[in-house]
Amino acid sequence: MRFAEFTPFDLVLLAQGLGVTIGLFLVTSLIGLLVGVLWGVVRFYRVPILMQLVTFVSEILKNSPVLVQLFLVFFGFPAFFHLNVTPVQAAIVTLSANTAAFVYVIAVSSIESIGRDQIEAARVFGLSRWQVLRLVIAPQAAAFSIGPLTALLVNQLQVTSLISVIGVMDLAKIGATLNLRTLKPFVVWTAVGILYYLTAKLVATLGARLERRLRAHSAFRCL
Amino acid sequence: MRLDLTILVPHLGFLAEGALLTLEACVLALAGSVALGMLVAVARTSASKWANRLAFVYVDLFRNIPFIVQLFFFYYGLPEIGIYIDAFATGVVALSIAGGAYASDAIRAGILAIDNGILEAAEVSGLSRRVTFTHIVLPIALRTSVRPLGSVLINMILTSSVLSTITLNELTGNARIVASDTFRPFEVYVVLLVVYAALTYLVSLGITLLHRRLNRDLQGQVS
Amino acid sequence: MLKVENVKKAFGPATVLDGVDLTVNPGEVVSILGSSGSGKSTLIRCINGLEKLDAGRITVDDFDVSRPKELAEARKRSGTVFQLFNLYPHLTALHNITLAPIEVLKRSRAEAEAEGRALLASVGMGDRADAYPAQLSGGQRQRVGICRALAMKPRYLLLDEVTSALDPEMTAEVLAILARLAASGTTMVFVTHEIEFARQISHRIVFLEKGVLLVDLPTKQFFSADGGLAQPRVAQFLSKMRKD
Repeated sequence: MRFAEFTPFDLVLLAQGLGVTIGLFLVTSLIGLLVGVLWGVVRFYRVPILMQLVTFVSEILKNSPVLVQLFLVFFGFPAFFHLNVTPVQAAIVTLSANTAAFVYVIAVSSIESIGRDQIEAARVFGLSRWQVLRLVIAPQAAAFSIGPLTALLVNQLQVTSLISVIGVMDLAKIGATLNLRTLKPFVVWTAVGILYYLTAKLVATLGARLERRLRAHSAFRCL
Repeated sequence: MRLDLTILVPHLGFLAEGALLTLEACVLALAGSVALGMLVAVARTSASKWANRLAFVYVDLFRNIPFIVQLFFFYYGLPEIGIYIDAFATGVVALSIAGGAYASDAIRAGILAIDNGILEAAEVSGLSRRVTFTHIVLPIALRTSVRPLGSVLINMILTSSVLSTITLNELTGNARIVASDTFRPFEVYVVLLVVYAALTYLVSLGITLLHRRLNRDLQGQVS
Repeated sequence: MLKVENVKKAFGPATVLDGVDLTVNPGEVVSILGSSGSGKSTLIRCINGLEKLDAGRITVDDFDVSRPKELAEARKRSGTVFQLFNLYPHLTALHNITLAPIEVLKRSRAEAEAEGRALLASVGMGDRADAYPAQLSGGQRQRVGICRALAMKPRYLLLDEVTSALDPEMTAEVLAILARLAASGTTMVFVTHEIEFARQISHRIVFLEKGVLLVDLPTKQFFSADGGLAQPRVAQFLSKMRKD
């Protein structure tokens, strides 16, 4: 592009970037949620070896930079496993795994918050471990974990911006492109910042609304 | 497809240099965050509506906008207004401002937790507001918020990897160089993940010790 | 002279002080008795300016505590010892004592610390100067609290139920110190439940009931059948307290 000035088309670019960001955010959040809960179930059933492995992987993922995780998947995997990894694939794998690590922690702590005695009480009534999980724990854990999950998702939305570094055309990458072309960093990064901010607020609001609704259904449990 | 970590041996010194720069940046930024966090915490606990509002907006904005966007805002924006500082200084400034938003929450909670009777004792003995704040409120609040401030530091170490995107050769930056020099990105980034995890683990150990030491004389304070 | 004139104070709909008058002359020990909720502590908190008056006036050596400009002077003349000690948890016993002398009276650190150590020694805690409050027993904490108030050389010592949070043994050690202070001529306003002790050390005893000062008599008369005991509420209160 040779034009240094902003053009109306830049708005379309920003919208596209926002779309990519939100799309990847939704996809990776969903995968991360499923995988994280699955890991939580592994822990609930105390599956040997697998349980230790899950804990170890989640610790590493939580305690290392997402950017390095991205580099490992995007640069490391192709070199080591001789695979073809596109930026979007690397982004999906990394962000999903990272979200899963944190979801796992929330799942474990909300299962624990329900208490061993409640679980044992249910077992005494002859419910199987799976029935206990599905009928006793899951509904309570879901209500309990909406708050922490919302906070996590607001955070993970921001983490998505790192995929711009490996070339995914998300909102941050569009910002970098516009910044280079127009040389108006304040305008560009303020606009990009506002879009991220509003999206984060939207996620937080939806989470709060969901939490209110779930709490209304489970109010009788708050003795 | 064999994991050969020995190829990294010649580069260990170079990586250590990067780690040192990471630590330097984080320690400086932690100091900046705590200083800024104290100011903002004061503003948020003050009676002035204006100070309160301003502090809230700062915390809200910087917690809901991705760090990379904030970083680019400063890195590309500051020269526009005639402030020329190098990548290291820019990184420290950006980390401080982002960390300050989190640190202020921790310190604010510490301030709000102070027993009102202690403040009354200070008031009746004629201590000025300033002295009460610097000699009583802050020291107590900082002690009780060692742990949450430690989390801020750990997050800062992970976040500092993003500084590699503004050409700063900290740990991740140097690792990128090693990865492209050796054509062994997988080995480099696997090791890097472990190094970061170990680093944050050590820091969290240190924080636990510090917390215990500082709060030794605060424990058992029952009336 | 410490003067309380027609002071009124309410918290929301609850009237706590309803027109209280009280005068304390230098050198006097005045005990304030009354059941819990009678407004004793609130009266102390009005005198040291922690509560705003709804009506009336309190002056400490002619400095009006309701006037922001005079409050600082009034506070310099009074020292408060609290029921729950309210020591600064992050400072040693010695530094709890020296903070205000250094910061408010602008004394040198060396001078303030020498005086602080002397005060601690005088309450039998010369060897605990460097201990933190959490490392001290309740009685020791309260002794530090007394030293902290005395370090400001107040003309009036305000004591707000200073032994209520202590067990009998610790109460005794604190009361022994107060008795010595009383004997040495320290002016004290003493809110307490320790009736026998109040009787021993006080020049005067006042009795508060529902925010009204019912009785204000010299100690001897307060405990005589035709004096304070003639008031049914006082007699009732005393017999109840003695039974407990």
